Amino acid sequence: MADEAAALPPHTVWLLLGGFLGVVLLNAHHTALWCLPLALGAVAWRARGLHVPLRLPARYLRLGVAALLTLAVLAGYHTLNGIEAGSSLLVAMAALKLTETVRRRDWLIVLGAALFLLLAACLDGQALWRLPLYTAELWLLCTALYGLGAGADAPPTAQLLRRSGLSLAAALPFALLLFFFVPRLPGSFWALPKSNEAFTGLGDEMSPGSISQLTQSGDEALRVRFDGPLPPPAERYWRGPVLHVFDGYTWRRRHADVGSAPRLQFHGPAYSYEVTLDPNEHNVLIALELPQGLPDTLPNAYSTFDYQLIAPAPVSRAVSYHLESYPQYRSLEPLSPAARQLDLQLPPQRNPRSIELAHSLRQDAGSDAAFIDAVLDYLRNGGFTYTLEPPLLNLDSVDDLLFRTRQGFCGHYASAFVTLMRAGGVPARVVTGYLGGIWNRYGGYLFISQSDAHAWAEVWRENHGWVRVDPTAVVAPGRLTEELDDLLPAGGGAGRRLLTARWITDAVQAWQGLNAWWQDEFIGFSFARQLGLLAWLGFRNHDLQVLAALLAAGAAIWLALIAWGLRPRLQPDTEDSLSRSWRALERKLRRAAAPRAAHESTTAYAARVSRAHPELSATLRALARRYARLRYGASVSPAELEQFHRAVRLLRWRPRGSAV
Amino acid sequence: MRSSGQSRFLSEPRAALAAALARWARARQGEDAPPLTLQARRIYILPTPAGLAAAALLFLMLLAGMNYDNSLALLLCFMLCGVTLVSMHECHGMLSGVRLLRAEADNTFAGRLGELRLYVENPQSRARYGLQLRSSAACAPSRFQLPPASTQLVRLSFQAGARGRQRIERLELSSRAPLGLFRAWSWLHLPLEVVVYPAPGGAQALPARRGVAPRGERRSRVSGEEEWAWLRPLQESDPPRSVAWKAYARGAPLLVAHYDAPTGVHRLLDFGLLPALPLEQRLSQLAQWVIDCERLGESYGLQLPQRLLAAGHGLAQQRACLEALGLYGL
Repeated sequence: MADEAAALPPHTVWLLLGGFLGVVLLNAHHTALWCLPLALGAVAWRARGLHVPLRLPARYLRLGVAALLTLAVLAGYHTLNGIEAGSSLLVAMAALKLTETVRRRDWLIVLGAALFLLLAACLDGQALWRLPLYTAELWLLCTALYGLGAGADAPPTAQLLRRSGLSLAAALPFALLLFFFVPRLPGSFWALPKSNEAFTGLGDEMSPGSISQLTQSGDEALRVRFDGPLPPPAERYWRGPVLHVFDGYTWRRRHADVGSAPRLQFHGPAYSYEVTLDPNEHNVLIALELPQGLPDTLPNAYSTFDYQLIAPAPVSRAVSYHLESYPQYRSLEPLSPAARQLDLQLPPQRNPRSIELAHSLRQDAGSDAAFIDAVLDYLRNGGFTYTLEPPLLNLDSVDDLLFRTRQGFCGHYASAFVTLMRAGGVPARVVTGYLGGIWNRYGGYLFISQSDAHAWAEVWRENHGWVRVDPTAVVAPGRLTEELDDLLPAGGGAGRRLLTARWITDAVQAWQGLNAWWQDEFIGFSFARQLGLLAWLGFRNHDLQVLAALLAAGAAIWLALIAWGLRPRLQPDTEDSLSRSWRALERKLRRAAAPRAAHESTTAYAARVSRAHPELSATLRALARRYARLRYGASVSPAELEQFHRAVRLLRWRPRGSAV
Repeated sequence: MRSSGQSRFLSEPRAALAAALARWARARQGEDAPPLTLQARRIYILPTPAGLAAAALLFLMLLAGMNYDNSLALLLCFMLCGVTLVSMHECHGMLSGVRLLRAEADNTFAGRLGELRLYVENPQSRARYGLQLRSSAACAPSRFQLPPASTQLVRLSFQAGARGRQRIERLELSSRAPLGLFRAWSWLHLPLEVVVYPAPGGAQALPARRGVAPRGERRSRVSGEEEWAWLRPLQESDPPRSVAWKAYARGAPLLVAHYDAPTGVHRLLDFGLLPALPLEQRLSQLAQWVIDCERLGESYGLQLPQRLLAAGHGLAQQRACLEALGLYGL
């Protein structure tokens, strides 16, 4: 670098240390536990160097510690790849670098590491509430960069903050231009280790009891914008994974198709809507029952024999898709034997009392429909209660529920109902998904949280096809009939009952709406949306070429604007009356002598003119001396200034004349 | 421009390239005459090694952002790209519009550093900082800043070559501000010419005085401080007894008093007195004598083979004699 020897002023060092510490804090939640103490120690050590001379640790010591820290990361994560391990390693190495940071180059390395750590923090968390933190940190790091660039004669912190703030503000239009027009080509360049973060939500399997945790979470599961009217609350069943295989305790999905889906005839009102599905661990695309067709924006999605929409890969980040659903439908085809067999299967020697109960109910009922009603009646009148904290069940979970505990939530009753159906010879399956949703009037969408997770049953009725039966509705009618306004959620999670004050609800909804906008428009910006943007701008073909052209044109305009903003601008005329008077004097003498050069002082000018025109000597020297006194003197009275103006006004010079 | 101690094989192409570049810039820009304003067409800009490293970092960030398809990371990367480009413009703006009002150079002795003085003006309302002015790679640059609407005198040393006339071929005004990622520079080809005097040297005694003092008396220099003719700033080589201590006591800086030598008494510094020495050493000895006489405050004349400088003393006499020596035979 230009100036290796010049030491940085303390405030620059503090800016650098503060920037590094800030970025370590932003990464603290996903780096190794020892990262924060290590960074704190290194920062303290380096800050101490501002007061006492630093004794740099020996080279072999540093190398040894570096190797040790690398091993620690490897031991903790079994890899150096990925966000967690990579950030931990980067924090460790940057902290170590701090201990030997003397030259500007070292500081630049630390600053580069800090910027990369900021990127790692962005990769890990894109929530809206983190945005101000990231912005502040970016500003801090840029300020440190400006301080480092200025070296030994760095201006005060406030001025550095101003410079970097202006620079960031100037960079923003360019960043947005790149953001919207740099092609977002899908696909990864290198394989990423699977994140060990566990998603809550629906899964591939359901053991009654596992969904109880979901009801604790008010996290968003999906949001839906409707093109037209909303479906009535009783029809807001959002279909997710369908579970077929039961071992007496756990329901599981059937991944291979069994037969083909019976063709459907849709009737009644249609609802057209767009779903934004948050990341989850299954690959089922949630849809209102029952969707017609496939999502348009996900080319490889397909529909299964049990009307699940399947994404080609697990939904690891938010996806959006458009669908059309009909709450009313009927099958046009009979159930295939294989599918019937699948949905009649029960584990042998499990839940014997339930099977016995089902047999007796079926014998008393004249038809499948009567049998279904009888089972629902049994659930309604059997003293069952709906609770979010049910007792644990033993391996014969249905027997345990029906004859011992009689407490449970949707998963319990769906499981029991389907078991009874199957035992009575009616094909049935468990459908998991969400029920309800809250209308967010700020965002104009239906907000469905993880606590809206629900499970219900589908039974096959001859001449009707698959029919939805929600046994929870008979056990806890309130869950359905509750007024689903935007105040109280459908599921009635305990935490959300607190939100009774109108303004709190308003604030929460406004914040959720803002988050939704952030997620939809910003975080979820993808190649598909880019194409949408281009179409909106009127370009429908040659997308990449158009993107490149737009980028080039925009960048050129931006660069020109920056150059224009930095164009040389003359200092506005700030001269005072004294300078004006002196300039008037020079104008009067413009034919007597060459104009005063820019580097020439007024005294030198007076002396020069006096040599050429001795008759002016006395006046000019006096005026120059008085000018210097007025300009640089300690105290100047207005009267003295006025006298000077008068003296200048008196001065005359004519080629053959003399001074007055 | 950069003369490195690498092997010829490595350094030769670089030197050749630098020379070609210098010729090209000289032919392109022509000779400059102050006052002049630095325009965009004569300001060059390239990334520094740190700038290249920053570009690599930004590329890595772009890859990471695209790999994770992460909007926020991409935006961060693009913001930093923007800041870098803004800093490029700012770096260019550090020089653009700067005015050079006047440039002066002092004669100096061969092998020593001479001084250049440049009056640089910032007529604009934007401060310029991190400015560097250097005459050649061998000399330390002068660093300075220009506040808004200000003029500054920049002193700069240059390396004097062999005796004779020397042109200051090229000055380079540069800045790495604000971030050190780019370096903008401008070459100035000013009409600066100096006479390089022979390096003073030689230990031969001064030639004897000639002429007779009118009243045959000489003042004691130590006691006669009141009678000095003129004062000049103290130089390191001056003996302490030559300092005008009384003037110092009155609050003046350390000065050396010069006395009017008795009229008529002078030393003739004759080229012919040194027949045994080669030419350059003769000239060096003569230059040394000129300096010695001046320090002693004595009158001296200079006799060169086809030229005689009449006796006298003072700065003008010293300069005339040294220039004659510097240009002798050239």
